[in-house]
Amino acid sequence: MGTRSTIFIAAITLLCLLLFIGCSERKRPTEEAARSVIVFKHGKISGDPSIFRTILDRFESENPEISVREETLPASTDEQHQFYTLNLEGGASDFDVLSMDVIWVPEFARAGWIRDLSHLVSEQERSDFFPGPMEAVTYKGRMYAVPWYIDAGVLYYRKDFLDKYGFSPPRTWNGLVEAAQHITNREKDLYGYIWQGKQYEGLVCNVLEFFWGNGGDVLKEDRVVIDSRENMEAAAFMRNLIESGITPPLVTTAMEEPTRHIFGNGRALFMRNWPYVWNIYNAEGSPLRGRVGIAPLPSFPGKKPISTLGGWQLGVNRFSRNHEAAEKLVRFLSSPDVQKTAALTIGYKPTRRSVYQDAELRAMQPFIVSLHDIFMKARPRPVSPYYMMMTQVMQPEFSAIISGIRSPEAALASTRRQIEHILEADR
Amino acid sequence: MKRHNDGTPFIVPSLILIALITIYPAVYALYLSVHRKLPIFGISRFTGLDNYLFLVGDERFWNAFRNTLYFTVVSVTLELVLGLAIAVLLDKAFRMRGIVRAIVLVPWAIPTVVSAKMWEWMYNSDFGILNYLMGTDINWLGSPFWALNGAVFMDVWKTTPFVAILLMAGLQVIPRELYKAARVDGAGSLDIFRRITLPLLKPVILVVLTFRTLDAFRIFDAVYVLTGGGPANTTETLSIYAYKMLFQTLQFGYGSTLAIMVFLCVGMISLFYARLLRGGIAE
Repeated sequence: MGTRSTIFIAAITLLCLLLFIGCSERKRPTEEAARSVIVFKHGKISGDPSIFRTILDRFESENPEISVREETLPASTDEQHQFYTLNLEGGASDFDVLSMDVIWVPEFARAGWIRDLSHLVSEQERSDFFPGPMEAVTYKGRMYAVPWYIDAGVLYYRKDFLDKYGFSPPRTWNGLVEAAQHITNREKDLYGYIWQGKQYEGLVCNVLEFFWGNGGDVLKEDRVVIDSRENMEAAAFMRNLIESGITPPLVTTAMEEPTRHIFGNGRALFMRNWPYVWNIYNAEGSPLRGRVGIAPLPSFPGKKPISTLGGWQLGVNRFSRNHEAAEKLVRFLSSPDVQKTAALTIGYKPTRRSVYQDAELRAMQPFIVSLHDIFMKARPRPVSPYYMMMTQVMQPEFSAIISGIRSPEAALASTRRQIEHILEADR
Repeated sequence: MKRHNDGTPFIVPSLILIALITIYPAVYALYLSVHRKLPIFGISRFTGLDNYLFLVGDERFWNAFRNTLYFTVVSVTLELVLGLAIAVLLDKAFRMRGIVRAIVLVPWAIPTVVSAKMWEWMYNSDFGILNYLMGTDINWLGSPFWALNGAVFMDVWKTTPFVAILLMAGLQVIPRELYKAARVDGAGSLDIFRRITLPLLKPVILVVLTFRTLDAFRIFDAVYVLTGGGPANTTETLSIYAYKMLFQTLQFGYGSTLAIMVFLCVGMISLFYARLLRGGIAE
């Protein structure tokens, strides 16, 4: 017994030791010791990860003194936010460059976690970037991140059905309703218009597009104007879409992917989604190939259509010990040339307008170029360090409106009171 | 030599350990709960009972409280009734009893997040299997009524096996002679169940209830994955609300106030059961 347990313990100890050695970082080759290593944290890169690596390799060959290590975070945006807040609050310096969702920059800037990068982009150069992302990375007049790639909500429609019944892509919401009613009455198993209505961030993106498309907004300067007449009308319209059957009730639990599947199975006439869906529908073997069209979202009569801005921004960790190298990488990744390469290889939409004039890009990626005007009008969600709190208030109230649990008047009035309470913290 | 030296010095290390890992966080949460604290913005000020006063008028808190209470009462009741029925059935000798017992345990063995994802797909109103099998067109997770009950149903599916197994263990220690004697005296099955099985099973039932009530009251993962608290917070439980305040919006002060409320409720439930248990064992 005694010897057996001794052997057992010895074996376990050895195993632990081996694991420990196995986990400890391998020594890099000595020739690299002279180079400074910077760590770039980002979410999942779309497509083949080795393609993005070749872009970083180019940076390394242009800057032989720097080597870049990339580290991928979990796919969910919430988890990435939690990772950054916990680590940066603790002053973590083990990463230098970070990619941020468009709604985080003011929060991180206010918390003092990211470096002021105003000096990286000259005044003149700034006008080359789309206005939406520029607004989103600016806090108190200073630039805290550089827009990396851009995204915005768009309307997908079934070209074949619209052609068959003689409709053109709708410019107003009433036009969409009219087309949807006409066509779904004549086609079997076809939903009119689907969008994302589960209680989550995507719902806020959808609702704000209706608000903005009716001339409304959440904040005006420092005032909370979310319970304006324009917003109430827009919210009531959304609820009405569901009650009138244009939109099936299932949207109140839907996120992007379920709606993509339903539209992709040919079960819907119109869909609001992000541009990533386009390539999936037009891939080899997709049943919808060549039968889908894309257009700016409709608006209410006499108002301009405005999409919710998405996309990611590059920032530099305030606690980075190597911020000069980190800033070089940010400059490199956001340069026109590299943005063009990323657009051609992994489909990341450039944040610089001049790239859209490039002849090669126009020839190879006409779809990306066609989104230029939509990106010009894309608007960021309220640019405030308190946005994460505000969205926690908006999500359930918006969900209540579209599920018919509360009236737009009651829900939006309560939203205004709660947001005002949040903003008091800073006064 | 003092042989009856009290053991205090010997338990001091463990007391310190317990204090460090349980009392310190609890006291710190209490401390946070009387502050307006947004650490990332460097905002931290003592606000006395402001958070608690806000909580009393916070409709979202009461909503979460009601949801949690409903979830707890309904799910625990169903789990107990079904678990008892299954336990009584499995206690009978029949062929392949071992295999059936193992199969019954399967739902409990699947990690909650995985089964919640699974149920989310089954509940989908467009391509979910539930509507397909029943021929219905119900927006399960989208309607306030069905969403919360859907979460209850999933929890019952998942946790009934746990209840059944514990109760089965309780059944097995009841002496078989009592049943035989009752039969000889001419008692019917229902009488035997009411007058022998139930009273002798009472201590086990109380233990099961304690476990299940406390777990159900703190429910988080299943509901969070299933609905995220929606639609319109109709499935938001106290733990989900506290999580959102603490970790998504980083309001450590008010988030802690919510956590303290959960703690108080759970404490009261524990005391209540502890009392019943003491009575049950003294009987």
